[in-house]
Amino acid sequence: MKPQAYIQGTGAVSAQDSNVFPGTIREYESIRLPVADPDYKQWIDIKQIRRMGRVIKMGVAASHISLQHAGITMPDAIIMGTAYGCLADTGVFLNKLVTQKEDMLTPTAFIQSTHNTVGGQIALLLGCHAYNNTFVHGAFSLENALQDSLLFLLEQPSRKVLAGAVDEITDYSHAILSRFGLYKSAPVKNTALLQSRTAGTVAGEGAAFFVLAKEKDVQSQAELTGLEMLYKPRSAQETAMRLEQFLQRHGLQAQDIDLLITGRNGDVKEDAYYETIESGSFAGKPVAAFKHLCGEYPTAAAFAMWMATGMLRDQQVPSAAMFKGAAPAAVKRILIWNHQHTTHHSFILLSAC
Amino acid sequence: MEKLMADLKAQIIQQLNLQEVKPEDIGDDQPLFKEGLGLDSIDALELIVLLQQHHNIRVANPEDGPNIFYSVRTMAEYITEQKKNA
Repeated sequence: MKPQAYIQGTGAVSAQDSNVFPGTIREYESIRLPVADPDYKQWIDIKQIRRMGRVIKMGVAASHISLQHAGITMPDAIIMGTAYGCLADTGVFLNKLVTQKEDMLTPTAFIQSTHNTVGGQIALLLGCHAYNNTFVHGAFSLENALQDSLLFLLEQPSRKVLAGAVDEITDYSHAILSRFGLYKSAPVKNTALLQSRTAGTVAGEGAAFFVLAKEKDVQSQAELTGLEMLYKPRSAQETAMRLEQFLQRHGLQAQDIDLLITGRNGDVKEDAYYETIESGSFAGKPVAAFKHLCGEYPTAAAFAMWMATGMLRDQQVPSAAMFKGAAPAAVKRILIWNHQHTTHHSFILLSAC
Repeated sequence: MEKLMADLKAQIIQQLNLQEVKPEDIGDDQPLFKEGLGLDSIDALELIVLLQQHHNIRVANPEDGPNIFYSVRTMAEYITEQKKNA
């Protein structure tokens, strides 16, 4: 079993505290979990911050934290994923387009509305002229960014990649997505979300970044051992089979996994997928969750990866993350299995260094 | 002129989202770009739009830009002159 990459540093901006995990869990009673904005001025100059939308600030902050944790100032590549991109600025630009009848449009909102603005701003602030790519593949955006990072490291094993994902919710996007029945009809406590057993979930947003390297060193916090995407499986049984095959390819079985982290989000229909496997090959295994902490969004698995890396590094599983069973005292391998709307499934296997 | 300059300072702060800058922080003759308020080329475009939106004035010759947008006073003088000639 060959390690694919080592995680050298992590950083996240989420509905939970950015720097401390496991710290005190922030509790919400809402149908939206907004990020707990840190003081962005600690990373971004006041003159530059004025043009940045929230999602850009979130991305810049998370990337800076991860670089700092990795002990490097300049990555050799910036590879990120986002499903929605810079929604707020897109809204501003399109609104002006309509209200001003396509005349006198200001440049800032347009410049800041493209999906690759976040990666571009991170590079501009760092003065990084290296490979820079943004993957926009819905709920597979993070996974494709990680895949590209692994390919980059395969070709250039001595390099370090800044990889991550970011997504935001706005009033407009929340209203539109609510029409599809994605969210709960009434506010729910996030601490009780996973037991709600009703339709819909709570919306979320956030940014998480990782510094990846091929070589293990003293900075290495965890190993990214495996990654796989599964699109539109026909049933929970097919998903279970593919999950088993994924583990087998890494010389593992369900019993070798110390902790399963699922993307359970409190939507009774979507969670049924997880239940099939939790009671099947993973029966009796401790199961954790994360969407009651960060909400549901297409790149939420990045938050799970950030959380799991912390668990492997600190050898501590916070009880607030546990869904089933007792938090294991020691964790060697964590499997993150996330799906969005039962169509986009991803498996991320992490191991302790 | 004083009223126009005060209005311009408020409009510049709003249009350029100059956080933590108050109208009284902007001097009438202070350069808006580089060493002054530190504005850049994107801000120049925003200021052109500001003139159109708030004062209905189009900058016909882009080469006049550096002189028009040198300071709040030069902007106010340009607006006054354009309105007189309209």
